Amino acid sequence: MSAVAVHQFAQCITCHAWSPDHSMIALCPNNSEVHIYRMSEDKWERVHVLQKHDQIVSGIDWSSTSNKIVTVSHDRNSYVWNLEGSDWVPTLVILRLNRAALCAQWSPQENKFAVGSGAKTVCICYYEQENNWWVSKLVRKRHNSSVTSVAWHPNNILLATTSTDGKCRVFSTFIKGVDTRDSKTSSSSDTKFGEQILQLDLSYSWAFGVKWSPSGNTLAYVGHNSMIYFVDDVGPSPLAQNVAFRDLPLRDVLFVSEKVVIGVGFDCIPMVFAADESGIWSFVRFIGETKTPSSAPKYGSQFSEAFGKFYSQSKYGVNNDGTENSRQRGGIHQNCINCILPLKEPGVSMVRRFSTSGLDGKVVIWDLENQDDLFQ
Amino acid sequence: MAGCRKFLAGTLRLYLTCIRNTLEAAMCLQNFPCQEVERHNKPEVELKTSSELILNPILICRNEAEKCLIETSINSLRISLKVRQADELENILTKKFLRFLSMRAEAFQVLRRKPVPGYDISFLITNYHCEDMQKSKLIDFIVQFMEDIDKEISELKMSVNTRGRLVAAEFLKQFI
Repeated sequence: MSAVAVHQFAQCITCHAWSPDHSMIALCPNNSEVHIYRMSEDKWERVHVLQKHDQIVSGIDWSSTSNKIVTVSHDRNSYVWNLEGSDWVPTLVILRLNRAALCAQWSPQENKFAVGSGAKTVCICYYEQENNWWVSKLVRKRHNSSVTSVAWHPNNILLATTSTDGKCRVFSTFIKGVDTRDSKTSSSSDTKFGEQILQLDLSYSWAFGVKWSPSGNTLAYVGHNSMIYFVDDVGPSPLAQNVAFRDLPLRDVLFVSEKVVIGVGFDCIPMVFAADESGIWSFVRFIGETKTPSSAPKYGSQFSEAFGKFYSQSKYGVNNDGTENSRQRGGIHQNCINCILPLKEPGVSMVRRFSTSGLDGKVVIWDLENQDDLFQ
Repeated sequence: MAGCRKFLAGTLRLYLTCIRNTLEAAMCLQNFPCQEVERHNKPEVELKTSSELILNPILICRNEAEKCLIETSINSLRISLKVRQADELENILTKKFLRFLSMRAEAFQVLRRKPVPGYDISFLITNYHCEDMQKSKLIDFIVQFMEDIDKEISELKMSVNTRGRLVAAEFLKQFI
């Protein structure tokens, strides 16, 4: 079993984020508050409650070097929280949105963050020193529907977005005065703000959960039609791969290395996808699945079915008189998983531990130890 | 007779299994705020404000009289049922019984107050129901409901008939 810690924080968690040293966790218990818990003596203790939003908080991100938290909410607002003394002090971000904000992420250099919104726009927010506030620049008229997820390329310029119109897009977010034109980072920094580099039209259904690989060479996102898409060579001639799987759709993905991706979603159990030497991606297995006896004889012969029925009856004393109950996988999460985050050790490129949170209110920490076959 | 009933039970099982599997796949809902109206969060399947947020509806028919329509959107799901009505008596019993249930829709949480036109009863499941309740139990509830409704109607019909016979017998006694 590769889950190393399970904790029930609330009835339902919409999103969570870790402090830079992983000793604290910020999460939204499906309401307008953000709770910050600290691990002390093997127990999670609630240390702060951030109350400023007045609708459900849809996105939290905790920057790793500057130790700032950005929260976005369905109330169209966003705050950047800064720890001053022992209190978290909010700064309002002028998002200029007229619909709900859905997701937020700090850029790798943490001088900008991106907010996806239900107003079919993406806000790129940066700090303006002279006015002492966070201002936003909008990427308008590019999306035909809500922006469900955003992801920063490691070069701090490119931003990938997914939308409920089924498309995945890549934009340049070069902001004069914030980003410096670097001759090393090739052509991507020559483009001006809001220019669309790429539009991927692979999915017929809503797209979610976009992520870049650690090097920024590969892009992965999921569609609601139980597909996961991998895109190499993001640029004028991208190489795309579609991988269909037989289970329920995914909500979010995470690259643990260049060749291994973990997907989480409505099936309540993380799935591993990996690329072989030739770069062909495929589904590998579930993580932490426990076999339930009732599911075993499902595809067997009539005899084994009868035997299975007898077996489960005798063992559990329940009479399942013909009414087959809904399939339940023996995972740790009981409901849809909608957030997956890496727990990166400083200086190590590979992600060995990650955390997931879901609508069942649990935060689960997973360890990929003993799964060495994935990394060969 | 017994064989016939067994056969019917078999097709009912297939019909219910089909609905169960469809619901299993369709009930992948999430919190999704309205794109058109500021600060609103409403079931998209009811408002139908943006066409891209609605999936194709699925119609599952057992026969002409019994069918199930499953309409899905990003944050809500609507299940509409048409219950078998072989004769006028069944028709009126179904109408009365389902009206009785619909009027108490609050108690059932997922029951819609009014059925979708052309159907006898509708359920509306939103992402909030999926957050509060286990998905498998919700599906079990719907399927159990469908299983029970036929039984309930035929029992009602039987008791009406029995009562009718008793009343008629009592009435005719005076002429003996």
